[in-house]
Amino acid sequence: MRDTRTNRILFQIGAILFALIVTTLVLSLAGAQPFAAYKYIMLGAVGSWDVVSNVLVSWVPLLLATSGLLVTFTVGLWNIGIEGQITLGAIFTTWAMRLLQDSGWNPSLILVIAVLAGMLGGTLWALLAGALKTFGGVNEIFGGLGLNFVATALNIWLIFGPWKRPGVASMSGTLPFDRSLWMPIAAGSSRLTPATLVIAIVGIIAVYATIEGTYFGLKLKAVGRNPKSAYILGIPTWQHMMASFAICGVFAGLAGAVQVTAVYHRLIPSISSGYGYLGLMVAMLVGYKASLAAPVALFFAALNVGSIQLPIILKLDSSLAGVLQGTLVLFVILGQGVRTKLLKKTKVSS
Amino acid sequence: MRDISKLFLLLTIALVAVSGAFAQSTPPAAGPNLTIGLVMVGPYNDHGWSQANYDGLQYVLAKVPGTKLVYIDKANSADRPGTTVSQLGESLVAQGAKLVIFSSDDMTDEAIKFAQDHPDIFVILTSGSQQWKEGKNYLPLPNMINVMGRMEYMKMVAGVAAAMTTKTGKIGFLGPLINDETRRLASSAYLGARYAWVNYLKKDPAKLTFKVTWIGFWFNIPGVTSDPTQVADDFFNSGFDVVISGIDTTEAVAEAAKYTAQGKQVWAIPYDYSKAIDEGKGVSLGVPYFNWGPAYVNAVKSAMNGTWKNHFEWNGPDWKNINNPDTSAVGFNKGTLSKDASAAVDKFVGELGKGLNLWVGPLNYQDGTVFLKNKEKATDQQIWYLPQLLQGMEGQSVSK
Amino acid sequence: MQVELRGITKCFGALRANDNISFTVPPSTIEGILGENGAGKSTLMKILSGFYSPDSGDILLDGEKVKIDTPADAILQGIGMLHQDPLDFPPLKVIDDFILGEKGGLLPNRKRASKEFKELSARFDFSIDPESYVDTLTVGERQQLEILRLLWLGARVLILDEPTTGISLPQKEKLFATLKKLAAEGMTILFVSHKLEDVEALCSRATVLRQGKLIGTMELPFATKALVEMMFGKEMPQESKTQLKMGMNVLNAKHIDLDGVRIQIKGVDLQVHAGEVIGLAGMEGSGQTLFLSACAGLSQPVGGSFCLDEEEKDMTGQTYHEFRKKGVAYLPAARLEQALIPGLSLTEHFILSEGMRGFFIDRKKAEDLAKSRIALYNIKGRPDSTVESLSGGNQQRALLALMRDPLKLILVEHPTRGLDVESTIYIWGKLKERCANGTAIVFISSDLDEILKYSDRVLVFFAGRVTPPLNASSLNVERLGRLIGGKDWDMLETEAAHA
Repeated sequence: MRDTRTNRILFQIGAILFALIVTTLVLSLAGAQPFAAYKYIMLGAVGSWDVVSNVLVSWVPLLLATSGLLVTFTVGLWNIGIEGQITLGAIFTTWAMRLLQDSGWNPSLILVIAVLAGMLGGTLWALLAGALKTFGGVNEIFGGLGLNFVATALNIWLIFGPWKRPGVASMSGTLPFDRSLWMPIAAGSSRLTPATLVIAIVGIIAVYATIEGTYFGLKLKAVGRNPKSAYILGIPTWQHMMASFAICGVFAGLAGAVQVTAVYHRLIPSISSGYGYLGLMVAMLVGYKASLAAPVALFFAALNVGSIQLPIILKLDSSLAGVLQGTLVLFVILGQGVRTKLLKKTKVSS
Repeated sequence: MRDISKLFLLLTIALVAVSGAFAQSTPPAAGPNLTIGLVMVGPYNDHGWSQANYDGLQYVLAKVPGTKLVYIDKANSADRPGTTVSQLGESLVAQGAKLVIFSSDDMTDEAIKFAQDHPDIFVILTSGSQQWKEGKNYLPLPNMINVMGRMEYMKMVAGVAAAMTTKTGKIGFLGPLINDETRRLASSAYLGARYAWVNYLKKDPAKLTFKVTWIGFWFNIPGVTSDPTQVADDFFNSGFDVVISGIDTTEAVAEAAKYTAQGKQVWAIPYDYSKAIDEGKGVSLGVPYFNWGPAYVNAVKSAMNGTWKNHFEWNGPDWKNINNPDTSAVGFNKGTLSKDASAAVDKFVGELGKGLNLWVGPLNYQDGTVFLKNKEKATDQQIWYLPQLLQGMEGQSVSK
Repeated sequence: MQVELRGITKCFGALRANDNISFTVPPSTIEGILGENGAGKSTLMKILSGFYSPDSGDILLDGEKVKIDTPADAILQGIGMLHQDPLDFPPLKVIDDFILGEKGGLLPNRKRASKEFKELSARFDFSIDPESYVDTLTVGERQQLEILRLLWLGARVLILDEPTTGISLPQKEKLFATLKKLAAEGMTILFVSHKLEDVEALCSRATVLRQGKLIGTMELPFATKALVEMMFGKEMPQESKTQLKMGMNVLNAKHIDLDGVRIQIKGVDLQVHAGEVIGLAGMEGSGQTLFLSACAGLSQPVGGSFCLDEEEKDMTGQTYHEFRKKGVAYLPAARLEQALIPGLSLTEHFILSEGMRGFFIDRKKAEDLAKSRIALYNIKGRPDSTVESLSGGNQQRALLALMRDPLKLILVEHPTRGLDVESTIYIWGKLKERCANGTAIVFISSDLDEILKYSDRVLVFFAGRVTPPLNASSLNVERLGRLIGGKDWDMLETEAAHA
């Protein structure tokens, strides 16, 4: 078999079909009607401007997380700590908002500062994972998982402790910010915030341009593919790893800031909404290519939002979206593995 | 790239408009047909708060012709990450709902946002107090009604049942999170227990231990809240033989059944849902429950015939029969009670019906400061917004 | 056994790796299979040993057509292949590795196998301890183990792919003696190599492949000139060593102590002068790599100091990148593992090594640079070819092309290992161009001819001991071979004492 574009695409399509077949089987075994389920997911994701705007709302943090992860994946790192980085971004954003909400400053200025604070929070937390890896020799997966737990604990402590509502500690989070401190919502929608949409789109374009078009991006690639050779070629390896952690942290922090300023308008216990883990899936699914991240993240967001219809209409559990996403990733990666194996078997050699 | 960002900036400017103007009028009457949307915080079959609400809506469907129900359960950010409650409400509107019931205090922020964003949709925020003119958080929204039952009475009844049953004189209260509502309910249970202890059993109130342990939310969220099973175990292992549950789920009953099966006779009192006593036959002393049906029927009818007016209602029991499904907003379903305890419960309900008021001074807050002077009766506001537990109760008054 | 190939053709995409190849090898023959890198030797051997299936053509053993689809089929038919990198299992004990691949019972009969291993081993005068672990063996010993294993499995045809790469001279001699003995016992041996001298020393016939085609077969005595012409289409001139005057000090290693994983080196002194070539000889793992990498700051000495330039700038403890800034380049032997980045194109490599300025990549400029370097270094590849798609010789050329100019010192591990004669001559030509411009070169090689031919001075490493720099003109293959083998070191010390 030859390494061609056509057979790459064929393998991808095959993987997607397999994932659909498996999901359909799971649904049938659960006694549901698979095609009705797919229909309602679709309608729930594109059926009206309202749901489309919900999809976009969910797309923004997911795409931000994915963008950041593409950078760490490029340098060969599994930044599983992104969940904690999103959480810290949200915490820093909330912190800045709490400090400034009664200052009487221009709300736009407060929002800008809050978003910057979120970026800082995400970055610091990511650098911590990077430092553990670089100077402590802790694999970034274990370090990241540990830091995720710490971030969750910190978040819950803040919500139930110092930042609790007057007299009430509630899972529903801190007291919501005044409407003037919400990200401006588009007319005709109840939650779509164009500013965050712009941030996310500019973000993924910047990541794409950086990875594909800059010297820095090329160096990240080199380190990711072979750190030993990259070092011999004169590239400072650990510095580039730290830099990619920092960049991913910026994006994760942005995602956290968006969750606080544009989605929940307060800090809630599960503020990351699992977008970090979902972003890992998106990044794996697109084979770490920035060009495909935006549409695939949009597709995942659509699945998430669309699947809310399942419990409402079909009385099915909405975790079906997760099943579909999981099997998709699994089969696409499996497909890539099989393909690589077939390619290797017939590699040109003499 | 610069072109794209410019385009989006323009789009932003074009689209942005802060929806500041809220409609000032009541939504138009829905007419003979009404689809009702119900948003529940837990699973619809949780044998607790959410199921009580779900059953209330089933009652509405049976009693009011022309009504239809669409619902979404598990509406909390842990079960449905990335979604907001107002967004879930909108999904129900997309299915035709013209009246949306947000059935948890936990949804207050999102329900307000929803009501503001959708002035044409009727909204019921169960257990909220935003439409209470005399309340502290008055925020008039013409399309919103607050509904709550006077559970305080039934918690008192539960307290009586517990005090009449305990052999060790130690009653545990498995509390959810700490807020006005949960403080007043825990305190009510204490008032009932103390009343029975002193007046029926003629015992020294100082010998009655009443301890509240909060888990942090209405139900268990692993890793976030304390584990209610663990808390119940701690109670039973440290001499408490009756646990009154204040949470939406039935761990206390399950644990009591387990301990009793192992030969250590203990009891529990579940909460919210009338059939919750089925969970632990023989260990459940009874259940104080909500009967949302009648209040929801009234609200639904007013939305259909155009008599809707935003208001707050705090509905009491029908003292003629606290378990009348058509008239009583709260009730107490007796379970395994001794003859004496059962008689005491009946007697106590009778006394309440005749005007017995336990929210009368002298009553002190937990920290010893005066809550009610001698003979002073508490106002509804004082009870609703109870700032502390009462003197004589152990446990946290405010979350630290 | 007689091996006959009829019309073997194998294509990889557009490339015809083997193009209608037919020849017959009679029993008891050691057949040399010659050809430059990419000529199709390995493909042909992999077809014979079941790793590939041919697109067309037949294999006949003793006149009978056989079907060989897997390596297991091959060994069943009596064909065993010894790969360039021995396919053994380093974490295993020798005897367990030996037993692997035996078909039959679930529980191997270790006792019987151990006895037979010792008998076989004694027959060929090998001294491998069956209870030692494979990763403690030298490359040569691993070859011996593999040969024993294949014999034990019943191989009657033995294919060896570049077996003299990476083994010491004594091991090579032992290998050749073994092969001759096996041939005398009726074994058919296919010996794949691009080293003319090996083929001349060992083989009774030589078959030459070029660009996938069979060019011809030659019987003893071989005419070297004709063979070279068959391999390359033209005779390659053998360059002679250019004598250089001693230049200025480039590197001064003073009393270097090094702690390696399995080896320690004490008190090495070496002054490297501009334009000079220094060869580091020794059996693999004798400490050469450790010393060479320390000269680049890639590993840190535990004692002594490194100074660069005439100004004696102290670089002890500095990182490789500091050395690099000062004009030191390091070329590792494991090209794809340590020097090049698989997946990236030649252009991208040039961009990286040049350290271009600016933020966005200047694609045009980069491609021009790549094109000019590709032309300058005669690399067979396009600017967008990934490095792993290049042949070994072209990867080595790319490595040279990646070096910046000017450089003060080039440190090379095995500059021509696994390369054909043409590439070898080319690589050294390029290296010596650098010398002529004042760059000093320190290189490691296990090829004694290479050491003697190109070095001005030589350091011999043996089990952590290092000779003082020896003038290459005072050495010959025999003397160097004895030093590498640990002999004559006392004499050396006496000489030093007298001097």
